[in-house]
Amino acid sequence: MTKLFLDTDKYGDESPSAVVAAFHGSLHEIVRQRLEESGAEWKDFVLGDATTLITKKDFETVDRTLVDAGHRYDWSAGISQKERPDAYKPADGTSDADLATFCFVHPDAPLANPDAEGRELRGVGDNVVRYKENTTGIARYIRSTDRVLKWLTEGVPENTIAVIDDSGGTLTAPILEQFKGVICAGGTVRSHLGILTREYGIPCLMNAKVNGIMEGDTVTIESTARAKTAEDYQGQTKREVTGNVWRIAKREE
Amino acid sequence: MKLDYAQLLESNNLLQINGDETYWLCVTRTVQESKLFPVPAYMLMSYLNAFYRYPALLRKIEDHMSAEEVGDRARHMGAKANAIAMWGLPCFYLLGREWMINMGLLRPQDAAEDVAYILDFWKRFELSFRRNSGHLTAFEGGHRGQIHSEAQLQVFHADLYDCKVGDPLHQAAQAFVASASQYAFLIACESRISLHNHGPYNLGDDRQMIVRDFNDIAEYDFPWLDDVAEAVPYNNLTVTMATRGVNFNIMDDWGSFESDPEFKDENIVGVGLYTSGPLSDGFLPVGMGSREELAQTFLDLNDKVKDAMSRLWQKMAGWSRDQMLDAGALTYYAIIKDLAHIAGCYDPEDWIKIDHRAERFRPLLNDEYSRDALGEICVGAAPSHQINEYMMMMHNDAPTRIYSPIPYSILLDGDYAPTVGGVEPGITYLDEKKDVYRTTEGTLSIDEYNARVRKFQPELHKAENRLFCETSVKYRYDTPEADALYKLYQKHSRNLVGKGAGLRRDEVEALRQKSNRG
Repeated sequence: MTKLFLDTDKYGDESPSAVVAAFHGSLHEIVRQRLEESGAEWKDFVLGDATTLITKKDFETVDRTLVDAGHRYDWSAGISQKERPDAYKPADGTSDADLATFCFVHPDAPLANPDAEGRELRGVGDNVVRYKENTTGIARYIRSTDRVLKWLTEGVPENTIAVIDDSGGTLTAPILEQFKGVICAGGTVRSHLGILTREYGIPCLMNAKVNGIMEGDTVTIESTARAKTAEDYQGQTKREVTGNVWRIAKREE
Repeated sequence: MKLDYAQLLESNNLLQINGDETYWLCVTRTVQESKLFPVPAYMLMSYLNAFYRYPALLRKIEDHMSAEEVGDRARHMGAKANAIAMWGLPCFYLLGREWMINMGLLRPQDAAEDVAYILDFWKRFELSFRRNSGHLTAFEGGHRGQIHSEAQLQVFHADLYDCKVGDPLHQAAQAFVASASQYAFLIACESRISLHNHGPYNLGDDRQMIVRDFNDIAEYDFPWLDDVAEAVPYNNLTVTMATRGVNFNIMDDWGSFESDPEFKDENIVGVGLYTSGPLSDGFLPVGMGSREELAQTFLDLNDKVKDAMSRLWQKMAGWSRDQMLDAGALTYYAIIKDLAHIAGCYDPEDWIKIDHRAERFRPLLNDEYSRDALGEICVGAAPSHQINEYMMMMHNDAPTRIYSPIPYSILLDGDYAPTVGGVEPGITYLDEKKDVYRTTEGTLSIDEYNARVRKFQPELHKAENRLFCETSVKYRYDTPEADALYKLYQKHSRNLVGKGAGLRRDEVEALRQKSNRG
């Protein structure tokens, strides 16, 4: 069997990702096969024949093999799932109908019964900017372009605290300015959504670990909490810096 | 390019510098994902395109202008030839290389001449671009991005209009910066490549100035802005912003900043607005004739970018995944395209196409594989990153490094493929780019634009000006040469025109205050 340089990697472990390990394992075999077929030395093959002998069809085979074996990819961009529903996991929580029952369920979200002020702890997040007051509004999920397009046309409902799992700034670009607050399940305070909410002066918790907040619940985010810094993320300050997310009232059914 | 021991030592050092910075930049964020764009997928595609095309395109640029001259010119404009672009130059190329190593498609010694050349170009550009601070990167400079000379900073400082929370100028400027930031993220398909910050610069009296650039916001290189951005009158805008009561303790090479305490709009106490480009010979004031004119200019621009943003979002929301992937990949890959504009050799075939060698990989780029593969190569978790167990990397104790060095053993056995060769044909799923480029001399075709740039001889870049540096000024500020240089920078300044080289910062502030009092 033709040997590749990777076969004698002294230190490298297999990729921790199952999909990466599977894809790369298949690719290594294709490279091995094509090198053997070419009969060339590696240094002549690698930036020469390899370009024409290893084709787009080979890469399609790598993808198709995993999908045919039953794997369904995680999706992040809505368009990916929409164009290849057979290859991706279902798109839950993206339609208005789904949102009647959908909510984020983070396993590490701290939960507590209502306190003396009636605030039920449903999670925490990293505060982007410290403001003088906490922020209360109605939780509304934004997970699809359909909802953005609708609110772009009709206007964002008043008092909306947007609950988003997208730390980017493009999904909500045309309507972000109208949010009262943001709870983002991903990213850090230095992510794009963090940067933009700071520019607009919109209270925002990033990297939020929340559980059980339903569409239409009244929530308060602790925008008076200390803002998280790069040093905090690197563990240099040895302090836990989070802002709370409380549910004030469940939605009216 | 001759590969000897000294050259390889330097290449591997430069590679490590960029790798250490890249790790830090990535680890203070998370892997970027978006519900709109397949971000990790397009990033990976861009890295491959960079791997296959950067070597030939940088050589093409240097056929017209050396890297160090491009760097000197770039310092005099707020274009996309800045800290983030130049961090991306080696990074995108090297991440493409690293990913290919992990796929078994490349050894660390293959394309060795390209690797050495890319890093050498990067070094020469950075050293000239950043010669006023003397650093290679913001990371090396303690996360400060201090690019400009005193002559330039005095003009920015002197012409700042005072503002405070609630006044019309403050409101207009703050609204524009917020809208332009959002528009910039959208133009750049979720990346931060179209907006940038540098500084801080010390104005005294507990004030710091940051310089905020918005790039590629008009009809220019990206086909997706054709028509939708027709009404945006400037392709590059630079907002100078004085702040009080905050210390910008991090200003990184992505233009992200942190401050103590956190920066809020109430900290903004002064603003200015400029445009620039390869034909402008420095920064040109925009709407700076009066405070009222500036406020109205911000409002007008705010309306225009918000309208363009809304139209662009609706256009993008209707794209196929391949179109989204192409737009993002080309945004990333073409992060250094303004180098070609500065050199007068820009060709959309070079910069707005996916090379067919990279295009082969498209079927791999589903969301899950892309997310995981990108995460691995950016934070040192792939097999190629692992080194012997005695070692500990800069930022943690793991025995890893972000990029594989070029092995020195190639000097013994010569066993390497030297280069990927020239640019090969490319494709795109996007609409063809209209031949319309918004410049500081109006809207031009690309042939006309390149021709004008090649003919243009900026006064600031005549040898007597280019080489009259900060150290020359320090001891020779009272000479006619220094005076002439400062007057070049001051020629469009409201408060400093003709003042020459003798002013200190406090004297500039006094002139500014006098002007602001009217």
